[in-house]
Amino acid sequence: MSDPAGHRGGPAAVHQFVPALIPRDATGSHTLLLRQALRAAGWRSEIFAEATHEELVGESHPIVAYDDVARPDDVLVYQFSTSSMVAEYLLGRPERIVLDYHNVTRPDLYGGWDPEGARRSTEAFEQLGRLAPRACLGLADSAFNEEDLRRAGCRRTAVVPVLVDVQRLDAVPDRRVLARLFAEGEGADWLFVGRLVPSKAQHRLVEALWAARRLYDPHARLHLVGAAPTPRYLRALRDLVDDLGLTGAVHLVGEVTDDALAAYFAAADVYVSLSVHEGFGVPLLEAMAAGVPVVARRAGAVPATVAGAGLVLERDDPGVVAAAVHRVLADPALRAGLVAAGRARAAELSLADGGARAVAAIASVAGAPR
Amino acid sequence: MAEGPGADDPTTVTDDADRLAQVMAEIDDEVRRQRASGDLPARVERELDELFLQHSPVAGHGGGLDDALRMVDAAAFIDPVVPIASNKSGGAVVKKGLRTLNLWYIGYVTHQVSRFATAVSRSLHLVDERLQSLERQLSAQRLPPAEVLDVGWAHRPDAWWVPVAVDAVSSVPGRVLHAASGDGWLVRALGDRGVDAYGVDPRPGIVSRAELEGTDLREEDVLEHLRAVAPASLGGVVLSGVVDGMAAGERQQLLSLLADRVAPEGVLVLHSLAPAAWSSEKAPVAADLAPGRPLRPASWASVLGAAGFDATVPEPATADDYVVVAVQRPVPRPR
Repeated sequence: MSDPAGHRGGPAAVHQFVPALIPRDATGSHTLLLRQALRAAGWRSEIFAEATHEELVGESHPIVAYDDVARPDDVLVYQFSTSSMVAEYLLGRPERIVLDYHNVTRPDLYGGWDPEGARRSTEAFEQLGRLAPRACLGLADSAFNEEDLRRAGCRRTAVVPVLVDVQRLDAVPDRRVLARLFAEGEGADWLFVGRLVPSKAQHRLVEALWAARRLYDPHARLHLVGAAPTPRYLRALRDLVDDLGLTGAVHLVGEVTDDALAAYFAAADVYVSLSVHEGFGVPLLEAMAAGVPVVARRAGAVPATVAGAGLVLERDDPGVVAAAVHRVLADPALRAGLVAAGRARAAELSLADGGARAVAAIASVAGAPR
Repeated sequence: MAEGPGADDPTTVTDDADRLAQVMAEIDDEVRRQRASGDLPARVERELDELFLQHSPVAGHGGGLDDALRMVDAAAFIDPVVPIASNKSGGAVVKKGLRTLNLWYIGYVTHQVSRFATAVSRSLHLVDERLQSLERQLSAQRLPPAEVLDVGWAHRPDAWWVPVAVDAVSSVPGRVLHAASGDGWLVRALGDRGVDAYGVDPRPGIVSRAELEGTDLREEDVLEHLRAVAPASLGGVVLSGVVDGMAAGERQQLLSLLADRVAPEGVLVLHSLAPAAWSSEKAPVAADLAPGRPLRPASWASVLGAAGFDATVPEPATADDYVVVAVQRPVPRPR
């Protein structure tokens, strides 16, 4: 192929490799934003992807295209979040590798719901175990993820927040979605954003909503935004909603555009996460940036991401969650405090600061751009 | 979060952990009140869990075999008399008619399915009883894992065997693991020689108590750690206080893991008390309680040889302890 960067024979570069470049996906967005930060810092930087979503065609090159432009002093940043042939490709490359680790859901969390997911997870950890000792640097977006890297044998690690452009949600919210949400009448709107998978524990949110409607707010609603890659879990979730008589109160929204997501955040009274496993929790950050108070179960990196700007629960019993949400909604001082603290926390994890930290960490092994 | 007069004044935000802790305590009080008043008894919350578990292929929140068996029992009867309620006018009458027409057929099929399900349920209960019986027998015979032996006179930087170990792993292909690393005394000694080393120790608190500046130490079980690392990822392993009191089964697991995790031409250094010292006053009290006893150096050389290592036993400086240095054989080149 032709030199994708148009710099064949030019100076060394910091290139990124990613299994799949997908819009509105945490890893995909991070990859695009990191490229922007690397280029702004003076690096030549391209993205090489095993698969690219049609919306992002032109943003990446096929993996093997790197063979034509490779230079020995390049640094290759691998955005690691799943098992992939990219790992095998990079293991065969002589260049320096930086592992940018976004967490892999443990195989046991797939349980009997998704045997293929469990297999992929096992394979991902095996690839991590082979790549980590080869990497000259491991980047993790939380101390929780950093521990995975250290266990896998990464000899040098750094914590750098995932790059999230929360300002994209400042765009005008989708008016139709917003109008429909506001037309639903009295009752609080609970929101959770994330894939419908057992480890995100949306079923516990449904149970908590049932308890909240019984105890405090008979008209409360729950909006679950996110793709449903596990049909068996989706079926069970629908059955639970039916069993509890919550049809009409629980909305399984599916994937949405940025504009629609902005509408959900604008209409939400509280963001509730009962996920049992979070490597960072990008939607927590987005909720805080959008001024939505956060109630979340303590799991993985959640306490570090929220950092005191939300209510972090030690238990996810429906009664506990219902009481916590009620307290946030009924206590104006607490609510205002959480909203303000959340906005401050989101500012701390701002894109500019995160980008600079990521570039500095990579520069510590790559040297200065030439 | 905020400590302030209210929603109109969010500018008084402070990062007040005490205030959040107070709110959490008040939420707990509220939950206790709800449960005590009967508004949301704990029983109802358990029923919520069980409701979801009926749809789940896994035990879920720590539910065990008992929970699964109860669910099987509950689902083992298939009711052929389907509900006929309907929101539509006349819907219930139509459904009732259809049910009556089909009941002879559906009833016959569901009866057989129920008999099959009941037989499966009974079989599972029998398996459960046998498993419980086996667990009781196994529990009485199970050997506990060997604890790390704390041998102060041997596990210290100026012990005779330490220079032997440091020399052996000073130029290995990859990272060096020391287990059990204690406060990191050997990891630091290896670091001083330019060796990329880290330590693992399962004893609670010993790692966090240590001065960790610049030292890579982890509080973790040694076998669990070896299971977590990738094949052929360790350039060297130094074991001290780990193998002395191991029982045969645990020792075999360790050997298998070492054979897989140590890279070709990587080095294993194994320090142990000598069998004679095991019953002497020099041995720690934990030696009496250990499930196993030390092997002789020649025995280690033999089992390591069988596991794929070339083992040598340097001349010990004392009669109380010894080291075995073993090199992982290189992978044979394909012809």
